[in-house]
This record gives sequence, structure tokens and C-alpha cells, in this order.
Amino acid sequence: MEPVIVAAVQAAPVLLDRDETIGKVVALAEKAAAEGARLVAFPEAFIPGYPDWVWRTRPWDSDAVALYARLFDQALVVGSAATDVLAGTARRLGIWLSVGADERDEAGSTIYNTLLHFAPDGSLAGRHRKLMPTGGERLVWGMGDGSTLRVIETGFGRLGGLICWENYMPLARTALYAQGVDVYLAPTWDNSDVWVPTLRHIAKEGRTYVIGVTSCISAADLPPDLPGRASLYGEDGDWLSRGNSAIVGPEGEVLAGPLTGEEGVLYAEIDAGRARAGRQQFDPVGHYGRSDVFRLAVDTTPRPAVSFGGPDEPADLARPADG
Amino acid sequence: MPVLRVAAVQAAAVLMDRAATIERVAGLTAAAAREGAQLVTFPEVFVPGTPIWIDTQPIWDGDEDWFGLLAEGAVVIPSPASEHLAAIAAQHQVWLVIGVNEREQHGSTIYNTVLYFSPRGVLAGRHRKLMPTGSERTVWGMGDGSTLRVVDTGPARVGGLICWENYMPLARFHLYSQGVDVWVAPTLAMGDGWVATMQHLARENRMFVVGVNPVLHADQIPAGFPQRDRLFAPGYLERNGPWVEEGNTVVVAPDGTVMAGPVREREETLVVDLDLRAVAAERRYLDPVGHYNRPDVFRLQVDTSPRPAVVETPGPAAPWDIPAPDSQMINEPQGGPR
Repeated sequence: MEPVIVAAVQAAPVLLDRDETIGKVVALAEKAAAEGARLVAFPEAFIPGYPDWVWRTRPWDSDAVALYARLFDQALVVGSAATDVLAGTARRLGIWLSVGADERDEAGSTIYNTLLHFAPDGSLAGRHRKLMPTGGERLVWGMGDGSTLRVIETGFGRLGGLICWENYMPLARTALYAQGVDVYLAPTWDNSDVWVPTLRHIAKEGRTYVIGVTSCISAADLPPDLPGRASLYGEDGDWLSRGNSAIVGPEGEVLAGPLTGEEGVLYAEIDAGRARAGRQQFDPVGHYGRSDVFRLAVDTTPRPAVSFGGPDEPADLARPADG
Repeated sequence: MPVLRVAAVQAAAVLMDRAATIERVAGLTAAAAREGAQLVTFPEVFVPGTPIWIDTQPIWDGDEDWFGLLAEGAVVIPSPASEHLAAIAAQHQVWLVIGVNEREQHGSTIYNTVLYFSPRGVLAGRHRKLMPTGSERTVWGMGDGSTLRVVDTGPARVGGLICWENYMPLARFHLYSQGVDVWVAPTLAMGDGWVATMQHLARENRMFVVGVNPVLHADQIPAGFPQRDRLFAPGYLERNGPWVEEGNTVVVAPDGTVMAGPVREREETLVVDLDLRAVAAERRYLDPVGHYNRPDVFRLQVDTSPRPAVVETPGPAAPWDIPAPDSQMINEPQGGPR
């Protein structure tokens, strides 16, 4: 298995503007691909941005309601023209493109915090909806089911990931380890100093490369017509997120970053063979697992709210919207 | 109310000398108690020390004398050695958590075990490491699932795992589910990566974490140690430095920030006050076995049954049966208290 270059893009979205933000994704993916990156990873909920206001407003006050309405309007629908642009970018550049999005079903009214993986052939190879939002996030995002915890074969290693504090869910991580994850994405909003130790721990626990990728956005980056712009946000120096991106190797060693206080792209060479060989020392789902004592069952069934079916229904409708 | 003063003792064992090492435990515990410590923690296999030759020499290459020392110095429960440890806890009115090389009275396999003695001198908890690491597999057996219990000390619920067991997410989750305020991680692990893991664990379960290591300078190995000049392969100390165990003792708060340590290349007891209210406050952010879990998706089953080598099923009495000399001992499960 040949080593490849991966990129973690720390950038500011154009908050609550889906198409403008996708424009940034395309431009930055082009830049990273030109540097030789075979996998380009973007932050949590990058399209059209992380709903930072959940930490600044009182729940359900007028600003929060107006901001939610715009988030809903600008959320990404899988299978829409917006995802076609992302898929086409991955295909045109011949890269794996992983990007976080506020995502919803076309006919649905709940927004999910979702990580999408587009393959170099332009297919949507993977989709993970965050299982559990954190604190104020629970006012804007629903919860994914167990059907989107799949690790994908890329040709240079197995790719998977969890979003933000999902990375503190030991059982969710174990589910990824069991699928042989070699390249583990951890898009986040977490700016704390303890986040990088967490990335290092996960790398060593799973003997996997870990790519932590974070938005970097201050009030100066906000569109002037953003609801609550004047009341909720100050000027430059009022950070929504300083960024905290880092790439870590399978021994827990920091390969790039952490990058804070500025936009930028981190690069690192990864070698899945090295991660796998390192599991001679530790393999949490193999020789260091004790499966006689611990047995983890994961319910991967899609759980749509309603299942349609019956003798007169076409088979397509009986399938959950989530695929 | 809820402040617990914890001591994390980074010290050197008297290598493979059980009695002398327990004397050190007595002195160091007395010193920690004088500073007001209520919970005194010692490193992994502190009694009678780390079988260092498994990493300084090829496996099974003339190590029989050393292994003999380890087997002879291992702690049997109960025995005068374990009762001495219990008496130290009682004398100083502390919870004493200590790693030992342990074996059954008539057993020939050594386990990597942590013992929890109460201030009344009672053995309140016992955990045998589930999985040794690398070369450790040549000296230690594996514990079963019956020794994964959190101990209620009164002010705090205390639990933990040993060394790289701390990388076993399912074992951690099982203990988290029992409620842990203070996590004790006796270890030999060196370096910054280990400290990152201690920080991660604290933040993952929003608990205090005490990582406690031994320290050993090559000069601290007793002069009369058998084949002392053979202990290190040629060039080993030159390559790795004279600190065979450099130490890494650290105390971390439930938000993942380091409160004290890491201590390296010296003996030192860290004494830290843990404000236990921080645990509940932090868990409003994240509780991995409560509001931040998804039990509809993940179901963890843990087999906590003791797994002795033999389970006897009584058959019909035969006239030539002789009563067992001590049937209680024969039937005693390997697992210890549960």
C-alpha cells in the first residue's frame, strides 16, 4: 500500500451561505489537490457553517429562531445540485473529498450534523450523521441512527470518522476500529487544549492516523446581513472558532499542527501499512480485545420515522430515505 | 464536603525483594498520610517490582533465576504479605491502592494485579490485568472479567485499569457505567503520549485521573542482584539512558487539564486535593454512559463470571473417595472479591 498525502483544510465558511461556502470548498480542494493531496478533509458542519449562535443566544429567542430558519434554508440535501458540485469536484480532481455539512432530507424538517465522503469517481461513498449533538447543538440538530457508521476502502487505507464529541464515545470508536479504520477523521468545533491529547489518544488506541480539522472563523468573517449580527457578534478578534486542526500518526505523534488563529491547509504523508504493522503492539479489536469478556453489538439498522410498504407500494418507497 | 486528598507515589521498588519493598510502602504511605492523604496510590506491580529483564534481554535467554525471584516474591492473597499491606492501610487510616505481582497459593502463573485496601484494613477490591503487553505476555497471565469492579470509598467511587488496559475502550466503558469519580491508572508507560491518554480519559468520562508510575535508576538495582551484570544487554543503558523506568506520574482534572506532574527521573509523591463536585458539573457537558450514549445503537455485554481453570461438578460419592484436605481452597475461584 503506497503512502499518500492528505490535507486538512482549516478555513472559514461563508456562514449560512451554502453556495458561497461550496465555492470555497472547491477552491481549497483545488489548492490541496495541486499540492498532491489524495484526501482533502474539511471541518464539521462546514457547509454552510457551524451554528455557533447556540452558545450565544437564549434558546428559541428571536435571533435564534431567525438564524435557524436561515440554517434550514441553506442546509445541504444529499442528491441535490449542491452535492453534485461536491461530487463533481472530487471526480475532476481525482481526490477523496470529506466535508462536514448541515444536512437534511429533501422533505424533512430536521437538520443533521453529517460528514460526507465523496470518492474520486464522483460517488458518495460514505455518509455519517452525528449520533449525539452536544449541549446547545441539541436545539438545532437531530441524531443519526446506527446505519451510518461505515468505514470505506479508499485504496490507500480504510477511511472513517466521527464528529466532534462523538470522539468521546468509546463504543462508537470501537465500531470503527472493528472495521479496520486506518485514516480516522475527526472534524470538530472543539478549540480546547485537551482536544489534541484526545486526537493523540485515539491514534494510539486505534493505531490509526487521525485527522482533526476545525473551522477558523471570527466575527470579521460574518456576512453583514446575518440575523443577530450586531447583537450577538463583535468585530475581528471575536472568535467563533480559532481553529485547532492537527494530523496525528498511529503512534500518537503529532505530524502537523495544531494550527490556531489562522486559516491554512495542513498536509501529512500517511502510510496505512505502517498503521497496520503498528497493531502488533496494540489492537483493540484483536489480540488486545478480550472478546471472551466484552461483546459489543451495534444496531446498524436504518431507523426512518415511518416505513412505508405493502402489497401495492412500489419497492422504492419502502426503502428508508437515508439509503 | 467533597474534597479528597490523593497521593500518587512515584518511587523505586527494591527489585524482586518483597519484604524490603513492602517496608518502603509502609514508609511512603506514612509520609503521605502525614500530609493528609486519604487515598494513597502506588505504581503497577510495585511489589516486588517490574520484571525489567523482559525488555532488556531476549525472551527466555537465561532468565530462569530472575523469574524464580519473581515467582517467589509474588504476593499471595491472603498471606502475611497481603496482610501486611492491609495493616499499613489500617495503621494510617487511608485507602491504599497498589500494584503487585500476584499468584495463587499453589499456582505457577503470575498476574499483574491492583489491590484496594480500605482504611479498616479490608481488601475491598482486586483487579487482575486482562491483557499483558508484548513481552509482558511471557511473565503474566490474563485476568478474567470478574475483577472489573469500582470501589466505593465513601467520598468517591474509585476504579481504574492497568497500563495499556487503559487503551481498551470496552473495559473503560464497563467501569464508567459503574460510576467512577477517581480513576487510578498504575502504569509503566513513559512519555508524553501517555500523558495525552490520561488527559483524554479524564475528559471522556469527566473524572479525576491519577496515573502513577515507578521510577528506577540502574544504580538502584541492589548490588547483590543475581547476575546483575547480565541484566542489560550490551549497549542497552547507553542507548536508553540510566533510567530504566523514568516515571510519568500525573494527576488530571475532569476537564482534562493537568493538575500535577508529570514527574520524571526522580522519586516524588504528588499530593493533590480533588474537589469531587467538579465531576457532576463536568458531566452536564458529557456523560459517556448517560446522555451522551446511544444505547439504542450500542449494546455492550460483559461476562463478569469468574473463570477458574476447573469447575468441579460433584459426582456420586464413591466408597474410595477421600475428603479433600481443604475444599474451600480448591473451589476458590480465581477472580477474588466481586
